[in-house]
Amino acid sequence: MRIRLLVIIVLVSLQLSAGSWAQTGVKLAAGQSLSVAASSAGIDTLLSGGPAAWNQIAAKHVALNRTPPLYDTDEPATLEIPSVDVRVARTGGKLLVQLTWRDATHDAVTLAEVPNTPPETRFRKVQTEADDRFFDAAAIMFPEKAGTGAIAPSLQMGDAEHPVAIYYWNATRGPMLMQAQGRSTTRRTGKTFPASGSYQNGQWSVIFQLPDLPAGTTVAFAVWNGGQKDRDGRKYFSVWQVLE
Amino acid sequence: MSKHQYAMVMDLNKCLGCQTCTIACKKLWTDRDGTGYMYWNNVETRPGLGYPRQWDRIGGGWRDGALQPSPLPTMDDYGHAWEYNYEQRLYEGKKQPVMPSPDPKSGVNWDEDVGGMNEDENYFFYLPRICNHCTYPACLEACPRKAIYKRDEDGIVVIDQDRCQGYRYCIKACPYKKIYFNEVTGKSEKCIFCYPRLEKGEVNACAAQCPGRLRFVGLLDDPESPVHKLVLVHKIALPLFPEKGTQPNVFYVPPFNPPKRENYGKSIQEDPRVPLDYLIYLFGPEVKDVIMRLETELKKTQEGGRSEALQLLIGRDAETRFHVRPPLVQIQV
Repeated sequence: MRIRLLVIIVLVSLQLSAGSWAQTGVKLAAGQSLSVAASSAGIDTLLSGGPAAWNQIAAKHVALNRTPPLYDTDEPATLEIPSVDVRVARTGGKLLVQLTWRDATHDAVTLAEVPNTPPETRFRKVQTEADDRFFDAAAIMFPEKAGTGAIAPSLQMGDAEHPVAIYYWNATRGPMLMQAQGRSTTRRTGKTFPASGSYQNGQWSVIFQLPDLPAGTTVAFAVWNGGQKDRDGRKYFSVWQVLE
Repeated sequence: MSKHQYAMVMDLNKCLGCQTCTIACKKLWTDRDGTGYMYWNNVETRPGLGYPRQWDRIGGGWRDGALQPSPLPTMDDYGHAWEYNYEQRLYEGKKQPVMPSPDPKSGVNWDEDVGGMNEDENYFFYLPRICNHCTYPACLEACPRKAIYKRDEDGIVVIDQDRCQGYRYCIKACPYKKIYFNEVTGKSEKCIFCYPRLEKGEVNACAAQCPGRLRFVGLLDDPESPVHKLVLVHKIALPLFPEKGTQPNVFYVPPFNPPKRENYGKSIQEDPRVPLDYLIYLFGPEVKDVIMRLETELKKTQEGGRSEALQLLIGRDAETRFHVRPPLVQIQV
């Protein structure tokens, strides 16, 4: 099993270092499984981050990788967030996923509320207060079509045959549902989903409510650190995990 | 490259620094939430800080075919929005004078008319700026979302607001720092060369409103257009910072630059009011030839002759200054 894992790691790193961003699917490694705990707690309890309910669920320590520099003009970035802890609970026909990770900088603001009247009718308009800040964020990606067998979509936002759903949460802008079929095709669907996030003692805890996904579904995780000017593909990512 | 290219020529000798262009643009395009600090068109005093301050030294553009790094300007560089304490003064009977808050430290046109010193003489001129709608836009290359495109029919560079995710690689890449981030929408915005007006046969709002009549608009590849004549025939207009490698399509007629004193009959090289080095910094070494050409044309008229180039620069009416064509290429949707 170790050798197979090694092969996958080598394959993934080759794929990244060669810069030949594969558009086809990747073969899954065994051992990347993620257990789903049946929870008796309600959706609302789990969404609100109730520690009593979440502490009963074992966390899986998922290693995060840093994307290589994507653009010539990118500032170099260090690996500040090496892993994310993932807990998955099934309740009320939904999957609740909690991601927790340590992040020394809390990059989130409360943006000024936009009044419900058209700007041209108002004397004062909402101001842009900073143009150079980026916010902490996290996302969960899984294939839109289940049951693709041993081949998972490309880790780079899926591919043409395997579109992916991306449940993205931003510390400032909140949750938004996205869709992609390959690198640089990610688009906002305009839909949202229930999610919550809290930052305490240098640690983010973000809870996503996903539709119930069948066993064998592949999921991948991503974390953005606003303090490192993360956005776009400049982020931390995990390899595919398989729901048990 | 696009099939056709709209371009603008601005004659710096005629700019009054009145900001009518800035207001025309602001009222039309950037009077929305999150656009308070945006000036798709601004007029800055040169030499000076510019807007955002020190944009000309910050980075971006091309060198040897590669994008150059640049930090994002900060709100300190643009200047934070401020309010006045009118309520306290007018309604609450407080005696303190009307004061801005927070204390302004920078802003658009912050150093108006300060200029520089040439030995013991002060000098300055105004530099109106819009997006340069470059032939090789660094912003377009930098956008990983492919949200920026150059219109094939007229060369205007625009940001698709549906595709933009607000990553701001374009702002870093633009050597002229003419793209602004709207934090309310989470997307980046820039001058659109008034393409909706052009498509109706109306000239850009900044050009239409200019009381100094210093703006000329037309297709660069249209021999009848004033921009074609000024840039390619008379060769008296130059782009800003050509070494940034983007090939701007906004051109400037540089200051005639008469001598500081007793100007009649002296060459600009003897006693220039604006140090030539500064003009070379802005417009490249060709600026010297352009000023010589302008001087020759001026001499021609002073000796009773007629200069086609100077007649065009006077720009008596809209028909002379603007040559707006209906769309020449129909894009199939």
